Amino acid sequence: MKMLLLALRSLRREWHLPELRTLAASLVLAVVALGVVATLATRIERGMLASAAELIGGDIGVSSPQAAPDAFVDKARQYDLQIARTASFPSVAFAHQQTQLLDVLASGPNYPLRGTLELADAAGHTRKGHAPTAGEVYLDHRALVALNLEVGQPLQLGGRELTIAAELVRQPDGGQLFALAPRALMNLADAEQAGLLGVGSRARHQLLLAGAPDAVQRWRDWAQATTLPQGAQLITPEQTQERMRTSFDRAGAFLRLTALLSALLAGIAIALSAQRYARRKTSEVALLRALGTSRRRVLGLLLGTLGALALPAAALGLLLALGLSQLAWLFASQLFGSLPTVLPLAPSFAAAAMGIAVLAGFALPPLVRLAEVSPVAVFRQSVTRRVRRFDVLYLIPALVALGLIWSQSSSLQLAGILAASLLGVAVVAALLAALLLWLARRIAPGAHPALRLGLAALARRRTLSLIQATALSLGLCALLLLAIVAPALLQGWRQELPADTPNWFALNLQDDQRTGFEHALAGIGGDQLNMLPLAVGKLTAINGAPIDQLHFEDERAKDWADRQLRLSWADALPPSNQVIAGQWQGAHPAQAEVSIDTMWRDMFALKVGDTLSFNVGEGSLDAKVGSIRKVDWSSFRVNFFLLLDPAHAGNLPHTWLASFHLPRGHATQLAQLSRDYSNLSLVDVDSLLDRVREIVDRVGNAVRWILGFSLLAGALVLAAALAASAAERRHEAALLRTLGARRNQLRVAAACEFALLGLVAGLTAALGAAGAGLWLGHAVFHIEGFVPPLWPLVFAALGAGFVVMLLGLVGTRKVTRTPPMRLLREG
Amino acid sequence: MSDSSRPLLQACDVSKSVSGPEGRLEILSQVSLQIRPGESFAIVGASGSGKTTLLGLLAGLDTPDTGSIELDGHALQQLDEEARADLRRRLVGFVFQSFHLLPALTAEENVMLPLELEGVSAARERARAALDAVGLSSRRRHYPAQLSGGEQQRVAIARAFVHGPRVLFADEPTGNLDQRTGHHVCDLLFALNRDHHTTLVLVTHDATLAARCDRRIELEEGRVVPHDVSAHA
Repeated sequence: MKMLLLALRSLRREWHLPELRTLAASLVLAVVALGVVATLATRIERGMLASAAELIGGDIGVSSPQAAPDAFVDKARQYDLQIARTASFPSVAFAHQQTQLLDVLASGPNYPLRGTLELADAAGHTRKGHAPTAGEVYLDHRALVALNLEVGQPLQLGGRELTIAAELVRQPDGGQLFALAPRALMNLADAEQAGLLGVGSRARHQLLLAGAPDAVQRWRDWAQATTLPQGAQLITPEQTQERMRTSFDRAGAFLRLTALLSALLAGIAIALSAQRYARRKTSEVALLRALGTSRRRVLGLLLGTLGALALPAAALGLLLALGLSQLAWLFASQLFGSLPTVLPLAPSFAAAAMGIAVLAGFALPPLVRLAEVSPVAVFRQSVTRRVRRFDVLYLIPALVALGLIWSQSSSLQLAGILAASLLGVAVVAALLAALLLWLARRIAPGAHPALRLGLAALARRRTLSLIQATALSLGLCALLLLAIVAPALLQGWRQELPADTPNWFALNLQDDQRTGFEHALAGIGGDQLNMLPLAVGKLTAINGAPIDQLHFEDERAKDWADRQLRLSWADALPPSNQVIAGQWQGAHPAQAEVSIDTMWRDMFALKVGDTLSFNVGEGSLDAKVGSIRKVDWSSFRVNFFLLLDPAHAGNLPHTWLASFHLPRGHATQLAQLSRDYSNLSLVDVDSLLDRVREIVDRVGNAVRWILGFSLLAGALVLAAALAASAAERRHEAALLRTLGARRNQLRVAAACEFALLGLVAGLTAALGAAGAGLWLGHAVFHIEGFVPPLWPLVFAALGAGFVVMLLGLVGTRKVTRTPPMRLLREG
Repeated sequence: MSDSSRPLLQACDVSKSVSGPEGRLEILSQVSLQIRPGESFAIVGASGSGKTTLLGLLAGLDTPDTGSIELDGHALQQLDEEARADLRRRLVGFVFQSFHLLPALTAEENVMLPLELEGVSAARERARAALDAVGLSSRRRHYPAQLSGGEQQRVAIARAFVHGPRVLFADEPTGNLDQRTGHHVCDLLFALNRDHHTTLVLVTHDATLAARCDRRIELEEGRVVPHDVSAHA
């Protein structure tokens, strides 16, 4: 208690010291940056999960061959979650003497729990709605065309007569780009009464749930710990389409990266300030030790002072982080879209804890070593403490930085790249600075007087110059990464979805319609047309063994074995596909070949040389697995799990799948095209593209916000670096002024000193940022052909060097005005 | 300007006060003196008598509130700080009680400083000669922390003399040294004063040291004590 009071008193007396204020400001900033970013990231992530939930129709769910057991429903009720049940199955519909196989979804009245069901009436007016009531059904455009029906007319489905209450325009579809068969949505009770869901049916049941995030998480934890029924699997937002998942992952990585860099910058400022504080306290500690204070007590006093500073600063940072996050939500909802309304508290508290860890990690080493100051130092300042070649204590900040990188990146790869890049920058900066200092000693004698003074000043503060150059390089590197590399990565990401990315798909195109469709499409401004054959078939055997007699470890295999499969063929390997085993079949292999995706290899434990048998229409085909492909499912191209060779598959009954780009606003002309080719089913993927672009934009906005914090942190680093040498500079300036140095001479010397320091820091930072950017772009963000913008980096680095010089000059303005009388007063 | 009959340094009715927590505090009042070229001159007095303030004013480190000071014919109170710095660089050398060597520079580099400020090309050679003159040529690569107090003060003296100043101001030059070392340092100062015909103005409360000077004045509460007389020649 006594010690604490002493520490508090010491802090009150020393509060005027710039290094203590920088220390406190850095801690506040670290907590604010980490807190606001973590809160924003949590909110954005929740927002993204919410939009993923819209694709599923609920926050979470279970998909199973039978209706989910009661325990799952009871648990959901216990956690106060909303519940909806659905079942999907193929069924044949009859109308006007015509039959059509439909993908039917039967759902309870409150479906969907998340997202919207978009319906159109007979006049084409759209509205949002819920599942149909008993006796009603919704059909999509393809189903209406195929059965020659209109809204309001009856049809037979599952032996019951149902009225078409609306056209189904859009439904939460799990993020599927398009369904194979035309779709229908009916009432779940109707389906049950019609016996469509009984024993032996091919229905897939879904239990969908929605509610408060915490409750959903609790249910999820419970479900993951429970043994799921055979063939059942959890439906989670993360499992929605691969394209969206890649976007989520990248977005999270970006945000965490930016927060991390801000925090590390604050850490550097803390380290510099702590170093300065320790130097200033050396004589005081020597005196205390000479007067008989034990080392332990000195250490207690120093740590007490640090603690007394840290706790209020962390609390202030916490409050600011919460306040700013709330403010961002209130004022920036347009920037971030519809964010969830509850302010998450945990990220800010975690940030405060991390801030204190940063302070402890970066400030402890010099303070702990300070306690070791020899009492003899009261007589002779050069005898301060034992000099160690390698001080294990200085591993602490490195470990804290690594821990922070690890906790924020939650990816070993990203953590490794960042840590290696920053370490590389630190090493190169230290080496370059050492080289500069070595050169300074050699160039100085013959150089211009002002430059000579500047070089001499750098050389005089050798250790400090090395620390300053390294700290500034790291700071600038972090800033360049944020200001130039991150936007370039975002741009690269955006360019993966250029404006002319195919945004429409046309299904069901017949052979004789291809030329006409192509002309008609060109007439209404469509381009980027690509047509692929599409056959629908079923897997019947693997290596001659009938599929229904085989047992597979992978739960998904049975599901896929039951499904209608999409088969296509091509003579050349499509873009965004990579053969990782076997050889691409080409156009004319000797026997029928199929190239499979890695997922198929894993599900069915296949290898090159195995034989797959398919039924397509009335015919069948045995094809040898010729190659295994890795497919980039995040691209917006049409890709297939199974690709046959054209020589053997060309005669299978098929239609064509066309993808094309149509500028926005041309949808009306497309409606005419749709009427001319009424068998066609047109799918608009603009909304999906928009969603990905929206994520990119949200992340871009968030990064810009965070950049502000990083700039502040960068300014703190520079302030700390200047403060670290301020006392020395003042003394030096007073001496030089006494010896007759002109103020201008001091200014030019300072300008030269800081320009050189800025140049070293700027160039090292540019190199580091370019290297890290290149590495991040390829290894973490997987942006093909990403090259960091080199010239902007070089110019920004030179600019940053110039700014360091200007700020250095401003910072030393006071110093050049030091009255020379000061020296006489000092004795 | 080098006429030996004309005073090199003269102060006329110089007063200086500073504002403190209890209002204005007069540090110097109506001080007048004249110092001739090559002369050694001591300012003595108790602590707080205004000795260091007077030294600072005479060296052009500060300006008086009233009165005038002339250094080598230049009226210091009419010059701005830059012009006074220029004058100091050309005419003045300093020796301080706490030596004020830059810790990160070697002895030789410390001595080179005034020459570097002047832009002299053969700075290193002249600095070596100056260190040789104070008997420290073997220590030229040592840093201040590796030198004893007496050695540090000898480096400071070499720095004060290296650019050939016309007047050397010494503020308690032996204050931080033991008697024997202090004696040696004083011998050095007076030898340089004699050999280079450099005017020596020193502030001290050491009566023996003051007695070695050609003349001295005593200050008491900022005023010259009237019984001051010329010492032995």
